[in-house]
Amino acid sequence: MQTEAKQGWLASRMPGMSCLCAMLRERRAPGASWLAVLPALLGVLLAVLLASGAVLSVYYNPRQAYASLQGIAHEVRGGWLVLSYHQIGASLAFALLYLKLFHTVLVRGYRAPAEFGWMLWVKLLAVLLLTGWLGFVLDGGAGGYWSLFNATGAAMTLSGFPGAVAMWFFGGPVGGATLARLLVFHVLLAFCAVGIILMARAATRRAQAVPQGRLVAFWPVYAAQYFAALSVLALVFAVLLGFAPHWGLGAQNAIPASTMVVPVSISYPWYLTPVAGLAGVFSGVAGHIWAVIAAVAVLYALPWLDRSGGAPPGRFYMVLTWLLGLDVLALGLVTAFPMGSGLPELLTFWFFFHFLVLTPLVTMMEAA
Amino acid sequence: MMRRFFAPLLAVGLLAGVAAHAEDTLSPLRFQSAGTFGSIDLAAAQRGFAVYQGVCASCHGMDALHYRDLQALGLTPAQVAGIAASVKLSDGSAATPDSRFKEPAAMSMSGAVPPDLSSIVAQRAGGTDYIYRFLTGFGPAPAGVTLLPGSNYNAAFPGGQVFMPAVLHDDAVTYADGTKATTAQEAADVAEFLTWSADPNLSARHAVGLRAVIFFVFLAIVAMLTKRRIWRQEG
Ligand code: HEC
Repeated sequence: MQTEAKQGWLASRMPGMSCLCAMLRERRAPGASWLAVLPALLGVLLAVLLASGAVLSVYYNPRQAYASLQGIAHEVRGGWLVLSYHQIGASLAFALLYLKLFHTVLVRGYRAPAEFGWMLWVKLLAVLLLTGWLGFVLDGGAGGYWSLFNATGAAMTLSGFPGAVAMWFFGGPVGGATLARLLVFHVLLAFCAVGIILMARAATRRAQAVPQGRLVAFWPVYAAQYFAALSVLALVFAVLLGFAPHWGLGAQNAIPASTMVVPVSISYPWYLTPVAGLAGVFSGVAGHIWAVIAAVAVLYALPWLDRSGGAPPGRFYMVLTWLLGLDVLALGLVTAFPMGSGLPELLTFWFFFHFLVLTPLVTMMEAA
Repeated sequence: MMRRFFAPLLAVGLLAGVAAHAEDTLSPLRFQSAGTFGSIDLAAAQRGFAVYQGVCASCHGMDALHYRDLQALGLTPAQVAGIAASVKLSDGSAATPDSRFKEPAAMSMSGAVPPDLSSIVAQRAGGTDYIYRFLTGFGPAPAGVTLLPGSNYNAAFPGGQVFMPAVLHDDAVTYADGTKATTAQEAADVAEFLTWSADPNLSARHAVGLRAVIFFVFLAIVAMLTKRRIWRQEG
């Protein structure tokens, strides 16, 4: 009684509050899958990233990036833990987002009326990729420096509107102040990601069919499921934190950036490797940048590339989607451990072929 | 069934525990810092600092460290003050415990610059083991290998030719704890010291990690069981 009176008091004074409370009190169909928990877990990880990032930003010095991070690890009390929270939080956030996207493609969860939610998830991918790359660059390590060097070099050759955007973003070729600038974007984009994830969740839920039949309350049925999922995530987090804090991050960025020593090849954190591999296939002035934009664009266009109408996913489509998942995984692997020429080209070709040719064809066939 | 599974595990664990306390860690080579539950061998790291200070510091800096950080290796504040006082900084004054490790004069050997060693273990594939193999990898070049002028043969270094000379030899330093300073001992000790400097919180990380993992294993089990019970009742 007491709390409800308070909620009413707040809801009548602050628009949107009733909406938040309704989200928690809303009754749902029983028996939702574990995968429905992913957005909430992603939100928790983003909160971890924002909190640890807030601490790091107090001690981080973009003009002496490497030294200040070394200071955080050596001098700041508990700094090594906070740094690990940030690194592992990023790793796991990407893992969950990739899982979420893969599952949505697999079950065709992107079709109307869920296409708006899907577009938000793809936007989240774009924003997190950019944020993650900026984080990699902000390390002040050898890999990040040369990746930034190449990116600004390519961006400065752009002209017209893209050139103006690139100039505004990077402020010119790499210099002493570039990282200070990119730090602002890193933080800004992280906050954007929080907004996008809230919107994506709301849109995805709205798109779901209105539940029929017996309904259950969030408390305690779904609260128990969320809590169980969260404790498993915390367990994975703890394993990485204690025993593999640098898993998938590579040793190259532990070397301070040097303008004199050009690495033979840049090694990226695991979650950027598929994108780096895809970008590396296209050469030329801004080929890398356009390749990444194109890859996100085909994902974005998926609701329209799918010609199935309302038909449920067929077996062949499922097989192809698993193949696509393996394709992206392999693209990451061949980027991290370069082997045999021609492989990245083949895998990149398959990525675009899957979306632009196979998806329309197969969905049309299976719907017929 | 469970006991049959765990008994051999327990035996292996006990054996490993015994090995950890054995005196000889050189044959076969093993680092206390290695492995999932490894921790820094403080005595070895102290000796390793002596090797660094006596042999490597003339060429390599370690700019992430202050002399006071050595207290984490078990040195007393008085010992640290003594070490710092014996270091003459480039402006002629004596170092204090709050000074950073002295930077050696800039140098290059045939164009190769000695890298800072603070985080070298994190920067090289193979970590601690690689540093040991590198420091003990010097030797005469095998037939058929022609060395560049000024370079030395090193079996562990990628490409086999390095511009750092072989600097370790038996009794290159005298250990305060009486350990015999063989080349291998010096290399292993300095490798452990460099492992500590690259990750000063290695021991704490493993301890915190183990406790957190145990806690969350139990929490996850309880949460899963609770969820199943609630869903059986209500779902
Ligand atoms: C006479 C100067 C000198 C001394 C003394 C010296 N080094 Fe070096 N060291 C170098 C130089 C020069 C390089 C760079 C070699 C190259 O790149 O070819 C180097 C490179 C290294 C590397 C990097 C190898 C790699 O994989 O790139 C390590 C590790 C190293 N030294 C450790 C030590 C240790 C430990 C000691 C003390 C036991 C020591 N050095 C003493 C000059 C020295």
